[in-house]
Amino acid sequence: MLRFSFMVCGRGAAKRFASSFSGESTLPPNLLLPTNLVDPARLKRPPPPADCSLPVLRKCDAVIPAHLSPLQTWVETLEKQDSEPLGLTQLHPDVFAAPPRLDILYDVETWQRNFKRISYANTKVRSEVRGGGRKPWNQKGSGRARHGSIRSPIWRGGGVAHGPRGPNSYYYMLPMKVRVQGLKVALSSKMAQEYLHIVDSLNIPTPDSQYLLDLIRHRHWGESLLIVDVGEEFPENILQATANLKTVNIIPAIGLNVHSMLKHEAVVLTLETVKFLEDKLLWHDQRYTPLYPFKLPYSDFP
Amino acid sequence: MAVSFSLRSSVLRRALSGAFYLHSQTPGAPAAATGLRCVSNAAPEQRKAAIIESTEEYRFVERLIPPSRIPAPPKHVGVTPSGWSPPADSPPPLPYMIRRSRMHNVPVYTDVTNGSRKLTLVRKVEGDIWALEKDVKQHLKEVTGEELPTQVNEVTMTLKVKGHFEKELKDWLVSKGF
Repeated sequence: MLRFSFMVCGRGAAKRFASSFSGESTLPPNLLLPTNLVDPARLKRPPPPADCSLPVLRKCDAVIPAHLSPLQTWVETLEKQDSEPLGLTQLHPDVFAAPPRLDILYDVETWQRNFKRISYANTKVRSEVRGGGRKPWNQKGSGRARHGSIRSPIWRGGGVAHGPRGPNSYYYMLPMKVRVQGLKVALSSKMAQEYLHIVDSLNIPTPDSQYLLDLIRHRHWGESLLIVDVGEEFPENILQATANLKTVNIIPAIGLNVHSMLKHEAVVLTLETVKFLEDKLLWHDQRYTPLYPFKLPYSDFP
Repeated sequence: MAVSFSLRSSVLRRALSGAFYLHSQTPGAPAAATGLRCVSNAAPEQRKAAIIESTEEYRFVERLIPPSRIPAPPKHVGVTPSGWSPPADSPPPLPYMIRRSRMHNVPVYTDVTNGSRKLTLVRKVEGDIWALEKDVKQHLKEVTGEELPTQVNEVTMTLKVKGHFEKELKDWLVSKGF
């Protein structure tokens, strides 16, 4: 047994031992680099300068506070692998440049994990275990310890004293405004780390998954991509391309959530998605407290 | 034709009024006894008219549905009779900015914990919060004459001051133009 474990441990040791003697600095084979290390190849395209000649394709509809200025980003296209950006777009600072509240991100992420959780773990209590109604032997005279039932928790085969009594629900709701702020903080974090890309539309030339992978590899977007679009219909090509890919996923804009944004390294939004998100997320900053649930009609619901 | 029909029914009713005591309560009964159907005095063409659906009147329902957004206050110059004053048109040239609440008020709140711990909280601060803390301490020293302990929370961007100074801080912030 000991000889077997020595063989297993010793297999890679020679290779690792040899690399410490090699002249040039070779990376050890068991090295795992974190994915959020800044890759110098990704810093190729800086943010658009103030005097850029490309047209501004979209301006912010909502009122921007006087002391803040809108963000400007490139609008790219997925048609060709190595195409230049089509233009610029303005983004609202309250949605895409919110202060980086990591505590809110943590709260929303743990809420997303736990509010759906129902733990089905269940154990039987001494009253539920089969048997154990009769006193096993007399209280006095037998010489053995005194017992009242053979299913008490100190007995083998007895019930559990303080075990899980499922099904147990972990449901709770964070305030609506906290969840909205979580979305804003997540979008702002992606924007600040240059992992957010705006695209004019999701039309791609082929339904081939390899095309998307090559595009992402060429543009150094990251190892996983989340594509967001407004509306129920998506172009057929992109649906087929992303259907078999594990790391590239497409969701409608109403399905945008903090967990998905943190799980995928890069996020791609279309121009209509940006408009939709700005409408919906900024409405919460100037809304009344609900007189009746927001599911019922209001005259100017976004 | 309609006129003759109604004339006939009225003539019949008057004829039978003496005979039946229940004439006033059931005017249809004497007519039914004589075998004439007199459900209404309307002409037969109107009884078979098509049902018209109209959504024109729904505007009376729509104007009752309340709005969900808080409206912007009308333009005032200076202080209003209730004591509210609008923020300055352009933000003041300071390293910090204090936004108004959603009801367009200055975000200064008082709090009492454990029965006797009085606090004043300034929320919605953006920019250099330490410069705001310095200015607040200096202003309250001029007003009260004592150095008050303050707490800055850089994560939530709020400032707490020991004691109730809601009115002084609100007037000071409004005078600054926030």
